[in-house]
Amino acid sequence: MAGAGGGGCPAGSNDFQWCFSQVKGAVDEDVAEADIISTVEFNYSGDLLATGDKGGRVVIFQREQESKSRPHSRGEYNVYSTFQSHEPEFDYLKSLEIEEKINKIRWLPQQNAAHFLLSTNDKTIKLWKISERDKRAEGYNLKDEDGRLRDPFRITALRVPILKPMDLMVEASPRRIFANAHTYHINSISVNSDHETYLSADDLRINLWHLEITDRSFNIVDIKPANMEELTEVITAAEFHPHQCNVFVYSSSKGTIRLCDMRSSALCDRHSKFFEEPEDPSSRSFFSEIISSISDVKFSHSGRYMMTRDYLSVKVWDLNMESRPVETHQVHEYLRSKLCSLYENDCIFDKFECCWNGSDSAIMTGSYNNFFRMFDRNTRRDVTLEASRENSKPRASLKPRKVCTGGKRKKDEISVDSLDFNKKILHTAWHPMENIIAVAATNNLYIFQDKIN
Amino acid sequence: MEFKLEAHRIVSISLGKIYNSRVQRGGIKLHKNLLVSLVLRSARQVYLSDPCPGLYLAGSAGTPAPPTPQPGEPTAQPPAGWGEPPPPAPRAAWPDTEPQPERPAVPDAPRAVDPEPAAAVTGAGDAFRGREEDTAEAAWGRVDRPRVAAAVAVSDVSPEGASVGCPPTREEQPGASPAADCRCAPRPAEAEPSAPPALYPRKRGAAGAGGGHAGCPALCSTPLKKPRRDGGEEDGEEEMETGNVANLISIFGSSFSGLLRKSPGGGREEEEGEESGPEDAEPGQICCDKPVLRDINPWSTAIVAF
Repeated sequence: MAGAGGGGCPAGSNDFQWCFSQVKGAVDEDVAEADIISTVEFNYSGDLLATGDKGGRVVIFQREQESKSRPHSRGEYNVYSTFQSHEPEFDYLKSLEIEEKINKIRWLPQQNAAHFLLSTNDKTIKLWKISERDKRAEGYNLKDEDGRLRDPFRITALRVPILKPMDLMVEASPRRIFANAHTYHINSISVNSDHETYLSADDLRINLWHLEITDRSFNIVDIKPANMEELTEVITAAEFHPHQCNVFVYSSSKGTIRLCDMRSSALCDRHSKFFEEPEDPSSRSFFSEIISSISDVKFSHSGRYMMTRDYLSVKVWDLNMESRPVETHQVHEYLRSKLCSLYENDCIFDKFECCWNGSDSAIMTGSYNNFFRMFDRNTRRDVTLEASRENSKPRASLKPRKVCTGGKRKKDEISVDSLDFNKKILHTAWHPMENIIAVAATNNLYIFQDKIN
Repeated sequence: MEFKLEAHRIVSISLGKIYNSRVQRGGIKLHKNLLVSLVLRSARQVYLSDPCPGLYLAGSAGTPAPPTPQPGEPTAQPPAGWGEPPPPAPRAAWPDTEPQPERPAVPDAPRAVDPEPAAAVTGAGDAFRGREEDTAEAAWGRVDRPRVAAAVAVSDVSPEGASVGCPPTREEQPGASPAADCRCAPRPAEAEPSAPPALYPRKRGAAGAGGGHAGCPALCSTPLKKPRRDGGEEDGEEEMETGNVANLISIFGSSFSGLLRKSPGGGREEEEGEESGPEDAEPGQICCDKPVLRDINPWSTAIVAF
């Protein structure tokens, strides 16, 4: 397969040629669980790239300004700020340990010099302000340069403190903490297009928050049955529409998506639209229900489409058509015959994410063996690429990979049984405007760029 | 036939997952347990739809090694000749009732006595602490066990469990299960009365008397020493190994549409919490009871009271 067709290129004539750019993280074979990356997100401009890990830390990378001396080398991402967002907690009342793993990070649109992001673990959402400090005031009257207080009686003259430059310091401070609103595990947060509210979703409920108000949130979806014995599905992901601030969608473990309009009623238990594809009875198995559970839902940038990821495929839906998706892309169909083994080793419960490119012409999602897949919606071509240290020479092109599903294995192909199911790419992100992608492979973050033709 | 084997294996694996989910960090995950319960239900359906219910897995065939680690549980319980439908796994939903020596290693000696109902109850209880498991267990419990033959007849309440039920005839299973199973069987009928008796098994076990405990003092002792929950779970697993799966599945059989109850991830009170789940374990407790739980509500009450 050749490189995926281009998004953002005129007339779609150029193929993507993905090249390795950078890799962040330890090379060590022994991966500490706390270092496993659990979420990746570009900000609105693409200049900042945030990652969250299982240890509750957030690391933000910033893209360097392109230098005039090397115009062909795009800016690299370097560490901008690192902070501990969440700590492990213990709920004594319920004897529950609350993991510090960062489930999601969502950036707020930038409104001033500082950057804001929301990060969440299973129970608590925090709003962080990341600001730069590159000046320091000097010449105080009441204290020395080293901070010691001066005796007021000894001051004979007054001076006006002046600002002097200092080494850039990036500070992260928690500005809001939104806690105690979720009984179940939070799986999604989504900032509204009004830039004032956001939603948080757990297994059974979705809450609406105002960014300024932490002691109150509104429940807008509640699918908890009166009798828990009758529970048949849970909420797996939720997102606000990118332009219509009254519309959001949420996906379920049954493979359905509901679109809700907050104008219709205060409690959006009744959907406005219901998206479901009828199941193919011929492919029924013990695991049909598990593999139909949707692990991620993302609106396209245009707001006209949405994409859902289930275990074996990615589907693109037109918001105007509820009966079936307009596109279905198989991610790793060769795993269908291995579902029992994948059930045993728990891989069948892996929650893969998916993402759109800036122009909505291509979509990307992860797989096993550190493979990730890209689908070009215009040319209908797809490609499998690998994030590995072996292909980590600067600007080295990524070679398409192929999984051999049976019969004779060709050279350079890898057989299904040789796939490493511990190397899974669950989280990927695409720069909002350029062809730069960030791929999280366990504890390493790979950044690939499209070679300039 | 291979479907039955496959279904059996899947049920074993699923129960193991439910068990393990209780000790996972971060509390029980509702979504994952829901999915596991759906798989369990599918596997059960396949198992039950087998036209030859008598053809249970031969003991040896039984993959005696369910993925779940039975810590310290006496591997002793060999799958033992399945013979007839293996006695229902005593996994009743009662997680923590005493760690009944579920697996009565005792050769099917005629545990047949009465304590069966009680035994059943307890056994089942221990089997799975997980809420989910409980329901499943409960379901299983309904199946009768050899010993419970009589009880079975009497208590044939379980919607489907009984029907599938293990013919009271089987007694020979040297495997542990039988004993355990017995406990489960009459559950539905005896919900109330069983509850209190639930205590007995443990005592009996210790004494070596009572359903099936006799033969396995070691076994019995182990569960007793372990925290209830754990003991139960292991026992449950053990039962599975010895081929109670069929029974378990039958028990599961009926109304199994809901979700497993989620354990608050805490200590004993979880169990209590679970039982009271139906009422509303809202605050932080994720409790989705399997429909089976409905049938065993009396048990809940009893357990809670206990």
